[in-house]
Amino acid sequence: MPYQNPAYSRYLRRMIPITVAYLAAVAAASWLLPDHATANARTIAVALVPGIAVLAWIWAMGRLLMELDDEYLRLLEVRKFLIATGVTLAGTSIWGIVELFTDVPRLPVFFVFPIWCGALMIGQLVNQRSLGDGGC
Amino acid sequence: MENRLKLLRAERAWSQQDLAEKLEVSRQSVNAIETGKYDPSLPLAFRIAELFGLAIEEIFVSPARHSSRAI
Repeated sequence: MPYQNPAYSRYLRRMIPITVAYLAAVAAASWLLPDHATANARTIAVALVPGIAVLAWIWAMGRLLMELDDEYLRLLEVRKFLIATGVTLAGTSIWGIVELFTDVPRLPVFFVFPIWCGALMIGQLVNQRSLGDGGC
Repeated sequence: MENRLKLLRAERAWSQQDLAEKLEVSRQSVNAIETGKYDPSLPLAFRIAELFGLAIEEIFVSPARHSSRAI
């Protein structure tokens, strides 16, 4: 069995319950709030709960970087994060400019984090092509 | 950075995994260093040098020296 850095196992152990909590929070918010509910303290509070899980995801990713004691594996992850950040900033900024001047569909900011997560795969591919290893 | 890590490892009949375990790094790290795709940090370079009982410059070729040799 190939060696796996314990930081990856800890990362997975954190991400699974956070993901379950996120899905449960989204389901609960969808059940409690009607579509396009009026913004008030109660509705905003309910809608913010899934955001806590998003914060937890980001925290778990930060912990992964902190806990990876293998400098090369850490480099792979940092490169992935940087590439994903660049792709997301470029994509959303360009789409935003197009939104300003044309009637293309508006991109909800909700999609920024999923786009960033998807862009991690581009980072993984770039790592694979340039260094031969993708990362976790 | 060019280095003699693969040669030194082969002289001792160590696999990449053996060397990785001795250095407490991943096998991917050893492979990336050997192939020159990744330059180790100074602390890791010292660990490598100490493991083989050599000076760092006996394992890693100075990029400046390497480029001047190529001229």
